[in-house]
Amino acid sequence: MLNVRLAQRSPIPLDVELQCGPGELLALVGPSGSGKTSVLRAIAGLMPIAEGRVAIHDEVWFDRTLGIDVAAEKRPVGIVFQHYALFPHLSALANVSLALPHGATPDTALRLLSGMQLDGLAARRPHELSGGQRQRVALARALARSPKLLLLDEAFSAVDQPTRQALYDELVKLRERVGIPIVMVTHDLREARLLADRLCILEGGATLQDGPPEYVLSRPRNAHVAALVGLRDIHSGVFHKSSDAESPARLRWGDGEGIDLTTVDKGRIDDGTPVRWVIAGEYVHLHLEPPDGVNVVACVIERAHRLGDITTLACRSIAPPHALVHVEVTTRQAREGGMAAQRAVFLRLDPEGIHIMPTRARGA
Amino acid sequence: MDWQSLRLSLWLAVATGVVLLPTGVLVGRWLARSTHPLKPIAEATLALPLILPPTVLGYYLLVALGGQSPVGQLYAGLVGHPLAFSFAGLLVASVIFNIPFAWIPTQRAFEAIPADLYDAARSCGLSRWRTLWRIELPLAWRGILSGLIMTVAHTLGEFGVVLMVGGSIPGETKTVAISIYDRVQAFDLQAAGSMSAILLAASLATLLATVWLTRTRPSVRRP
Repeated sequence: MLNVRLAQRSPIPLDVELQCGPGELLALVGPSGSGKTSVLRAIAGLMPIAEGRVAIHDEVWFDRTLGIDVAAEKRPVGIVFQHYALFPHLSALANVSLALPHGATPDTALRLLSGMQLDGLAARRPHELSGGQRQRVALARALARSPKLLLLDEAFSAVDQPTRQALYDELVKLRERVGIPIVMVTHDLREARLLADRLCILEGGATLQDGPPEYVLSRPRNAHVAALVGLRDIHSGVFHKSSDAESPARLRWGDGEGIDLTTVDKGRIDDGTPVRWVIAGEYVHLHLEPPDGVNVVACVIERAHRLGDITTLACRSIAPPHALVHVEVTTRQAREGGMAAQRAVFLRLDPEGIHIMPTRARGA
Repeated sequence: MDWQSLRLSLWLAVATGVVLLPTGVLVGRWLARSTHPLKPIAEATLALPLILPPTVLGYYLLVALGGQSPVGQLYAGLVGHPLAFSFAGLLVASVIFNIPFAWIPTQRAFEAIPADLYDAARSCGLSRWRTLWRIELPLAWRGILSGLIMTVAHTLGEFGVVLMVGGSIPGETKTVAISIYDRVQAFDLQAAGSMSAILLAASLATLLATVWLTRTRPSVRRP
């Protein structure tokens, strides 16, 4: 298990605490300048840190209190850099061989390259390889030291989409094979959701929220995290606690006049509190006829935006607060259901999926 | 043709290169990666010989190395003869006035190595020494060699500083540039012309080599 706690005020402010278990993939996500890469560099020992602790299993690499700071070259960490950082004057084989521990035979490097589907390319220099091949050489080099931890810094950002997909498959296979903690930096939420077991949302060098991707993306801690994770529909409303044990809690959608929605009272928000709320796509059900059940909202499709196999429908509630809800359907469903602009539809919002957040971040 | 002066100039150029090559690698590498607040001052000081009139530089060197200076007195005490107006004094002066020619291209060559390659080297477990040998020198050799060639050519042609610090002692401090001046003073234009042609050819060859070395740098280019 990797345990990381980093704290400093300057030159790059950091206030991060994270864990990553063996075989687990943790994605650090955040906007540019949020400190993702700095966290990775600090874990690898490539950046000095004022306070904190970095330990894997029972091995401590950094502990300011104990005065431990293992040099980067002595930490068994494999890193794949954003632009791969392959040594341009060396062949693929030499790039990997250079990272092998003392006593390892050149066959080991060849085996690593072969494991990355790079047979026959060992003698090529980086500029003679494609982006995907370079990425694989970088991955082979990162694994050459039999690392206890693998760090990926925007490792998939510089390749085209088909190559990226192939590399995702490689990573999934690699995870099964090596069984070490993997920490990945990405700004691509889709990528993080696809690959990671856990997400850690960073901003200004601080952890805002961490947890499984589906949890963080459907239950952001606050409206700010919701915006950072790319949730488009962040609504406002007023929370009303249930008046008795039988009746559910209510959410008045909108700032004034609005639609009353049934929701779940988790006992954390006081009656009459203005709130922000979101609902994940899987809890929004689209119907062409009025369905049975609670939280049915009559809407009109304002726009239908087709993007390949997926069509996004911008549905505006007919009643106040006339809010927009974006719903994704397959393009085939949209075509067969005649889901185009001006079409009336009904949205059923599952009370379980309504996630209510305080209007201000805690401590803000 | 004054072969003795030409030999002395070549010997001075080689000795200057031998001193400035390893020191240039150390200082150039340090300057390339340093973020020390005094770095700009160090850079400006090291580049001074580029713009300082040779006679001014020669004057200060003469004062610094002369018999009245601590350095001159220490040297005379150890060796038995003064440092100024000797080959050793000329070598010290030559090293100092060639610092920017040797070290600046070396520094630029190290600066051209992308920072993430240093991180990659460390994360591959390479020590600083191995990083220098296996990564930095193979990527920076063109700049280092270019600095060395400039140093040799500049030493062959330097006049003002040499005259101020070394004078014109045949076989000891009389370089080819001084010899050309002497030959012109003596109206021996044929000898002056031959030696000038050699320096002209050396200068042209230097510039061609520098252009070739700096025009394409495939080894440093990011793929």
